[in-house]
Amino acid sequence: MKNTPSYSKARAQYLKSQKKDLSLIWVGRITILVAFLGLWELLSYTGAIDPFFFSSPSRVATTIVTLAQEGNLWIHIWTSLYETIIGFIIATALGFLLAVALWCSEKLRKSIEPYLIILNSLPKIALGPMIILWVGSGSGATIVMCVLICIIITTISMLNAFISCDNDKILLMKSMHANKWQILTKLIIPNAIPDFISALKINVGMSWVGTIMGEYLSSKAGLGYLINYGSQILKLDIVMASIFLLCILATGMYLLVTPLERKYKK
Amino acid sequence: MKNLLEFRNVKYFYQTKESEIEALSGISFSLDSQSFTSLVGPSGCGKTTILSLTAGLLTPSSGQILLEEKPISKNDDRIGYMFQRDHLFEWRTIWQNITLGLELQGLKKDEKKVALAEELLKKYDLYTFKNKKPRQLSGGMRQRVALIRTLVLEPALLLLDEPFSALDFQTRINVCDDVYSIIKSEQKTALLVTHDISEALSMSDKVVILSKRPATVKEEVLLSFEGDTPLHKREDARFGGFFEKIWRSLV
Repeated sequence: MKNTPSYSKARAQYLKSQKKDLSLIWVGRITILVAFLGLWELLSYTGAIDPFFFSSPSRVATTIVTLAQEGNLWIHIWTSLYETIIGFIIATALGFLLAVALWCSEKLRKSIEPYLIILNSLPKIALGPMIILWVGSGSGATIVMCVLICIIITTISMLNAFISCDNDKILLMKSMHANKWQILTKLIIPNAIPDFISALKINVGMSWVGTIMGEYLSSKAGLGYLINYGSQILKLDIVMASIFLLCILATGMYLLVTPLERKYKK
Repeated sequence: MKNLLEFRNVKYFYQTKESEIEALSGISFSLDSQSFTSLVGPSGCGKTTILSLTAGLLTPSSGQILLEEKPISKNDDRIGYMFQRDHLFEWRTIWQNITLGLELQGLKKDEKKVALAEELLKKYDLYTFKNKKPRQLSGGMRQRVALIRTLVLEPALLLLDEPFSALDFQTRINVCDDVYSIIKSEQKTALLVTHDISEALSMSDKVVILSKRPATVKEEVLLSFEGDTPLHKREDARFGGFFEKIWRSLV
């Protein structure tokens, strides 16, 4: 038997217009990218902009291929990725645990609050030289920088989510004789999951900032090192190629976090 | 009829940075077993404080609160509390919401309690929604779930803190009927806090009128309207007269 659509004509029209809108949005996105790359290539090719300073899409592509053929590219990508992921995991876990501890004790929270504000306002890059002295140069220092950049913001955003939980919900739990641990695990933490996902999304970007900053300061590998190296030897193609790869990696990591949000909303 | 709850000259003061404020000034009233009583009074007079004291969430500054002739304790499982909003946990299914109290009290494997939860869901047309999330339910259904979550713990006394105030008028009338019939058929005693005189009249056997802060009991009004649901009770010829009487007492 032939399947007939179960929706009305108006519904079919609505779905069609939705599909059309989505297609137009994608066309717009792709057009912007193609126009940007095309214009960049054209300006560079005609000499309107100096390819030495501004590079061009074709030169970026060639640089990436050359680096890959030399075998260095994967080392740099892997180093940055490894540092970012480790920093991201440590900062998220520690920030979350610190927020839990501060939620558990109001006195502790009020005592620590001013220091959190100071640490949040402090540009972490200022700690760079000390980190190198304490941890040594290389991946260790980069990971510490990454953790320092992400941990305070995670703690503050998670703590805000914990303490903004509706007081009536806490009273409801208490009226059912819940203890503090049950209130934390069955109400406060699940209630803060949307904020946790937001913190993860922010941390993806922040951990890449930490990694690049750490690699600028002291490293012998990584995309941050490559950018630094490229600018020092005045090879802007290497700088641009590294930035392009960074964009792809950071977006990839962000896309890995977004399914969590979709799963939670189901 | 036997007294289930008794307030004996209960006073309550709360502290602010500026001063000590007297919220309740010698409150005395009692609730018969299986009766429905409403507390009405001016906004901020301490109605919710009375519920919090009854639930053991606050401790009286002086006086006594007796439940079945024994002083109430902090974790008294004879008392169930229903709040202004349903406060269903959106990340839990309806079944997980209903059994939350059992989970907290380590009774999730108690076959009798689990059977009661299932029975209540079936009885009040929610069984087919047991695996749904709260956002998939209407406002009225959510309130029924919130009530069942409280009833599963088999409290002797139900405290209702303006449980219909977040609903629109039409839903409110229907949910009032639902909640009233559930409480009556489960033979529970209920203490309702409301600022809506019609709601208090249509659901209660007795209305306790409180004065402004510091609250005292101004008057107790006993009711006996014709009709077996709040909606039908509103049609009683004496309803308007009682409304007028309580309104005057409040203003």
